[in-house]
Amino acid sequence: MGGDNKYLGYLYVAPYVAGLLLFTAFPFAASFYLSFTDYDLLSTPRWTGLDNYHKLFTRDRTFDKSLKVTLLYVFMTVPIKLAFALLIAVILNYRLKAINFFRTAYYVPSILGGSIAIAVLWRYIFAQSGLVNMIIGLVGLEPINWFGDPQNALITITLLRCWQFGSAMVIFLAALQSVDKSLYEAASIDGANQWHLFRYITLPLITPVIFFNLIMQTVQAFQEFNGPYIITEGGPLKSTYLLPLYIYEKAFKSFDMGYASAIAWVLFAIIMILTLAAFWSSKKWVYYAGDKRS
Amino acid sequence: MTGLKLGLGALLTATALATTVSAAGAAELRMSWWGGDSRHEATQAALKVCGEKHGHTIKPEFTGWSGHLEKVTTQIAGGTEADIMQINWPWLPLFSSNGEGFADLKELSGVIELDNWTDAQLDSTSVNGHINGLPVSTTGRVFFFNKTTFDKAGVPLPATWDELFAAAQQIREKLGEEYYPLNAIKETAALLVSLYTTQQTGKDLIDPATVTVAWTPEELAAGIEVYGKMMESGVTMTQQEANAAGNANLYEKPEWTDGRIAGSYEWDSTYFKFSDPLQEGQNLVPVKILTGEGAQTEGIYRKPSMMFSISKRSENKEAAAQILNCLLNEPEGIEALGTTRGLPASKAASGQLKAAGSIKPELADANAIIMAASGPTVSPLNEHPDVRSIFLDTLEEYAYGQIDANAAAEQIIDGVNEAIEEYRP
Repeated sequence: MGGDNKYLGYLYVAPYVAGLLLFTAFPFAASFYLSFTDYDLLSTPRWTGLDNYHKLFTRDRTFDKSLKVTLLYVFMTVPIKLAFALLIAVILNYRLKAINFFRTAYYVPSILGGSIAIAVLWRYIFAQSGLVNMIIGLVGLEPINWFGDPQNALITITLLRCWQFGSAMVIFLAALQSVDKSLYEAASIDGANQWHLFRYITLPLITPVIFFNLIMQTVQAFQEFNGPYIITEGGPLKSTYLLPLYIYEKAFKSFDMGYASAIAWVLFAIIMILTLAAFWSSKKWVYYAGDKRS
Repeated sequence: MTGLKLGLGALLTATALATTVSAAGAAELRMSWWGGDSRHEATQAALKVCGEKHGHTIKPEFTGWSGHLEKVTTQIAGGTEADIMQINWPWLPLFSSNGEGFADLKELSGVIELDNWTDAQLDSTSVNGHINGLPVSTTGRVFFFNKTTFDKAGVPLPATWDELFAAAQQIREKLGEEYYPLNAIKETAALLVSLYTTQQTGKDLIDPATVTVAWTPEELAAGIEVYGKMMESGVTMTQQEANAAGNANLYEKPEWTDGRIAGSYEWDSTYFKFSDPLQEGQNLVPVKILTGEGAQTEGIYRKPSMMFSISKRSENKEAAAQILNCLLNEPEGIEALGTTRGLPASKAASGQLKAAGSIKPELADANAIIMAASGPTVSPLNEHPDVRSIFLDTLEEYAYGQIDANAAAEQIIDGVNEAIEEYRP
């Protein structure tokens, strides 16, 4: 590119860059600044130094509880969702009748799953007199108090998240289809069974995609909001009170935007640390094309 | 030449006038509010007739109660709030601590007939001499009982706490264990504890002189224990049972609509929100505040209800004021809104609705109960988000057996005192 077109590329990317600066970079920087202030949204922020962070780590029982619940939720949701998405992807990778219908049907929940309507539907399904308890009753079991029992409430929220496995599944499916078929043929000739094919050929070859899904799903799980807000409002006994709910309530119910920003930055730090740990560990278990390891 | 000048002058004047009329006539406004279905329908109808009358278009933005404060806060912080807003009275210190958070309606007194409210009413919605909103009605918490369920069990409606406990036993014996005479969860549970404690102490939660909690831990613990007794004896569901429906409103629950939960303690103005969803043949009636032995007062939780405010950033304040005046003071708006926000505070509206016989007896009865009942002045800080959340979280811990009543009382008092520290003189 030269002459009059020298700046054309910049012009093309300008709208995106402007949007990035205005709607991502600026709020990002502003929230970092606000985390060191006392700011009620409606008046000027007042600089308070590390007070918000000090309170967060020394006196805030709700933060402790919410952090534990969030970590539990993420460590339950991500492995279950990835395992389930991979299982369905493997099944849908076979040449079955009406396979395109099934692929679409399994993908649909991931489009709908984050919506308010589905969260409301989930509330009805798991209510005391809801569909799940009706089915349980048909096999002669006592109904389960899904939302009223702190032990069960987080499970229902986790199930909603796991139900939205479609996007991870589609990515797995694409990865499975890209595995070279000749490898399977060669291994089969050498006597490998289905499990051996999956364990020693498929799984290693799709580790980059597993890694990608792991990072994406972990980040998304830390940001979960709609499900617990609509279904349980974080209760009972804060057993579903994920950190995004706490951030939201501090910001928009208590008008403590500075404190909410501090929680958001702690959440960001946790996600960053876990992501870096995942990247570090990936050297040991993720195999890329041309990898010299044996 | 003179003729030409006159002609041009006339043309310019006419154009200017036309522009003015067109600007007022073409105003596009937004109005936001919370409520149930009956309020949503009536308000949309009222906006239609008032819009047509004054030549404006008003876009309605309505939600349920849950989440409305957060929505309004976000909009105000972002400068995108509606021109006309329904604002809860306890939010006034949050949004307008210096009186400049909303348009000063005094400046629009040429459009709004302010003489329809008493000075005392306007003072209650003013800050630093700025009228921040128009009081829509006076409201308070009142007991609603499903008379059909009580009749079915052959039990009279209760007038005292003791009668309520007795009624629970009889109703459950006759109709089954799935029947409860009262709903008490979340905010309602907190207000029931407050009611009992206020009755016994004669004091509101917040002492207005010191802006600290007025109750001793022992006094509050006694109120909390009554709530515990209600759950134990089947007056109300336990929180575990009530939470089994998830985060659902009482009036959406089948147990409410079919009369298995046969009462609640709610705002008088929400009567129809709770009565409308009831199944055919169910009759909900407002009942006088329950009292008991040793009560120093009826402990009514009464306050100015919501108010209508105009955004200070509205580009069409006059047009918004016209609509506001129409909704509250002009026959078309009054008729369309009816009593969906309780009995109107505006003299014009109250007079018109009374003359037309449009005030439904249940609503009139509910309002008469709260207006006649005695009790200390309620501080708006009772509904401060942090105060409310400390109360609710602690009561939940108590209800789930995590702490006892004494520990709960200490926790609430300490938490509330910390939350309202910044409002102390």
